[in-house]
Amino acid sequence: MLDMILSQAVNGLVLGFLYVLIAVGLSIIFGLLGIVNFAHGAFFAVGAYVALVLAREFGWWAALLAPFVTGALGMLVEIVLIRHLYGKEPLLGLILTFALALLFEAVLRMIFGGAPLPFSAPRFLSGFVEYGPILLTKYRMFVLVVTVAALVAFWAFLTYTPFGRIIRAGSRDAEMVGLLGINLPVVFSFVFGIGCLLAGLAGLLAAPLWTVTPSMAASAIMPAFVIVTIGGLGSYVGAIIAGLLVGITIAMTIQFQPEWAGAAMYVLMAAILLVRPRGLFGEKWERFE
Amino acid sequence: MTDANKPQRISTIRRRSLLLGAGSLGASGLVSARLGMPYIGNAAAAEPIKIGMIWAKTGSIVDQSEYLAQGGMLALEQRNNTLLGRPAEIVWLDEPNPQGAQQNAERLVGEHKVVGMVGGALSSFALGISAVAKKAKIPYVAANAATGDLTGKSCNKYTFRLQPPVEVHVRALAPYCGEIGKKWYLLTAAYAFGQDIKKAFEAYAKANGITIVGADEVPVGTPDYSSFILKIRAAKPDVVIGGVAASDLTTFLKQWNELGMRGRIPFAEISVGNTDLWGVGPEAADGLYTLTWYYKNPNNPPEEQAMAAAYEKKYNRPAADKAWMGWFGMKSLLDAIEAAKSTEPGAIVAALEKWQVKRGDLDVHYRDFDHQMVNRLLIASIKPKITDKWDYFDIKAELPKTQGDIDKAFGSQAESACKMDAL
Repeated sequence: MLDMILSQAVNGLVLGFLYVLIAVGLSIIFGLLGIVNFAHGAFFAVGAYVALVLAREFGWWAALLAPFVTGALGMLVEIVLIRHLYGKEPLLGLILTFALALLFEAVLRMIFGGAPLPFSAPRFLSGFVEYGPILLTKYRMFVLVVTVAALVAFWAFLTYTPFGRIIRAGSRDAEMVGLLGINLPVVFSFVFGIGCLLAGLAGLLAAPLWTVTPSMAASAIMPAFVIVTIGGLGSYVGAIIAGLLVGITIAMTIQFQPEWAGAAMYVLMAAILLVRPRGLFGEKWERFE
Repeated sequence: MTDANKPQRISTIRRRSLLLGAGSLGASGLVSARLGMPYIGNAAAAEPIKIGMIWAKTGSIVDQSEYLAQGGMLALEQRNNTLLGRPAEIVWLDEPNPQGAQQNAERLVGEHKVVGMVGGALSSFALGISAVAKKAKIPYVAANAATGDLTGKSCNKYTFRLQPPVEVHVRALAPYCGEIGKKWYLLTAAYAFGQDIKKAFEAYAKANGITIVGADEVPVGTPDYSSFILKIRAAKPDVVIGGVAASDLTTFLKQWNELGMRGRIPFAEISVGNTDLWGVGPEAADGLYTLTWYYKNPNNPPEEQAMAAAYEKKYNRPAADKAWMGWFGMKSLLDAIEAAKSTEPGAIVAALEKWQVKRGDLDVHYRDFDHQMVNRLLIASIKPKITDKWDYFDIKAELPKTQGDIDKAFGSQAESACKMDAL
C-alpha cells in the first residue's frame, strides 16, 4: 500500500503542475488587473486548437507558437473590450468574460466541429520510466519542466526587471504610476496578454493528454478557479502551492475513494476557506475592498 | 449556437404580418359566408407539423450530439421536409443536464406543440425526457441512451428506445473478455450508464467464475485518468472493462497509451461511438468494443447505405454510428406518423408498435411489451494499422446470430421489469 501511496503522491504532484500552469494565468490577471477572467478556459482551448492546427500544417515544433498566438489574441481582447471595464463594477468584467467564453466555444465549434480531434505528443517525448512503484511518462516530465521554467521566468521578470516593477506598482496604485508618466494601458494590455499566453501554453501542453474539443474549456476553468481561490486571489505563490495541493488531493482520493474524486478539490477548497476565508496566501487589497 | 436554448427554426411572426393574416382570414371567412361558398381554409393544414429534437448543444456529450442531430435532420430532409402532405420542421432544443433536458422537453410540448420527440444523448437525460413524454402523452424515441431502466422499470407507453440496453451489449461482449482472461478490472462512469455496465459485468463474472480484481466509478468529465491507471496497473488484471462515455473515453484512451498501457493490458468497452475513437488518434486507439452500427459494414441494407452516402455528400465525412442512430430513431417516428395518417399521439404510438424494417434476415422492430428495439450489435476491434483517418474498426461478428439468440439476449417479457401502462 505504501508503494501505491508514494506512486499516487508523485503522480499527483506532476498533475498538480499542469493545474498550476492553468491557474497561474488566471491569478495574474486578477492580481494585477482585478478582472475575474471567466474566458480563461476559452483561451486554454484556443491554445490547444491553435497548437493542433500549427502541428498539423507545419509540424510539432510550430505548435510552440500557439501560446504566443493566444497571448496576442488576449491583448487584442483587452484593447477592444476589457480595457473599458477598469475601475467599474467587477460584475461587468465577469459578465463580459463569461460571454466571451461562450463566444469562443461557439466559434471553435463552427470552425472545427464538435467532435474531438486527435493530437499526440511528439515521438521523442513518448515513452515512460519506472522507478519501483513510480511511473513517470517523459511527456509529463516535460510538462513539469516547462511549467517550472515558465513560473520562474515570469517571477524573475516581475521581480528583477523595471517593466516588472511597473506592473507590480500599477496593480497596487494605478493612479500614482500614471502620474509618473508611465503609459499604463500598454502595461495592462501586456499583463492580460501574458495571462492568456500562459493559458495558451497550458492548452498546448494539455492537448496531447486531454480531449481536444470546443468544450475542453470547462475541464480547465473549474480547477483554475478552485486553485486561485485556495491559494488566495491574486497570489502567485498561493496558486502554485494550491495547484500542487489539488493534484495530490485528487490522486489520493482516487486511490482511496474514487467516486469522490470529482468533489475532492471542492471539499478541500471549502475546508481551507473555513479556516482562511481569503485563501492560503490571500491578503487584503485596498484596491478591491 | 450562442444561445443554447434557442430553437433551431423559429417562425417569427411580426405584428403587421399577424394583423394582415388575421384580416385576410376574417375577410375570406366573411366573403365565403356572404357568397354561400363552403369555407375550405384549414388553419391546421397551413401549420407545419413540428417534431421535437433534444440533443445536447452544450456539455460533455455535445461531441456526439452533433452527429445525432445531423442524422435526425437528414431523415426529415429525405422526405423533402413534409409529412402527411404538410410541411414539417424540427425544433431542436438543448439538454445541458438532466433537469435541462426535462425542462426543454416540457417546452417542446407546451410551447412548440410538437407531435413527437427524439433525443436524450445520455441515459439520465433520456429518463427525464421519458417522464415528460409519459405525463404529456407524446411519443418519444430515445435514440442513444442505453440504461436498462428506460425500457425496464421506468418504461411507459409513449417511450421507445433504439439502442440495445446495456445488458444486451454485455451479453455480446463479455464472452470475448472471458476468452482474454479471468481477472477483470472495471472502470465505469458514476451515473446510470456506467452503473448498469458495472452491475451487468459483475453479474456475468459471478456466473462464469471470473474475478473482479478492482472496480472504480469515475466522475463524468474527469480530465486526468493517470491515478486510475496507476491503480489498474498495480491490480494486474487480464482485461480492463470500461464504462466511460464519449469524450471521457477519448481522454482515457489517450492517457492509457501515454502511460504505456496500450498493448500491455487489453481494454474492452460496450457501445462506443466512432467519434470517441476518431478523437483518440491512430497512435493511441486500442480496444475491443460493441458498436451499434458501422458505416463500412457490408451487411448494411441499401437504405442505410443510401443514408450513409447522402450524409457523406452533405457533411464531407463518413456517417458516424451516432448519425445513423439519430437518423434511424427519427425515421421510425416519421414512418409511424405517415403510417398512422395522423398526428394523434395514440395513433403514432400504435404505429410505432407495428413499425418494422428488414435488416438481412431480421425484422427490426420495437417490442410491444417494453418498446425496446430489437436489432443486432457489432463486435469490433481496432485495426492493427490504421491507414484511413475514419476507418478504425475491424468487424469481428454481428451478434446475436439466430432469432433464438436474439430473444435470449434481449430477454423475454417474463424477465422484463417493464410494467407497461395504457395509453
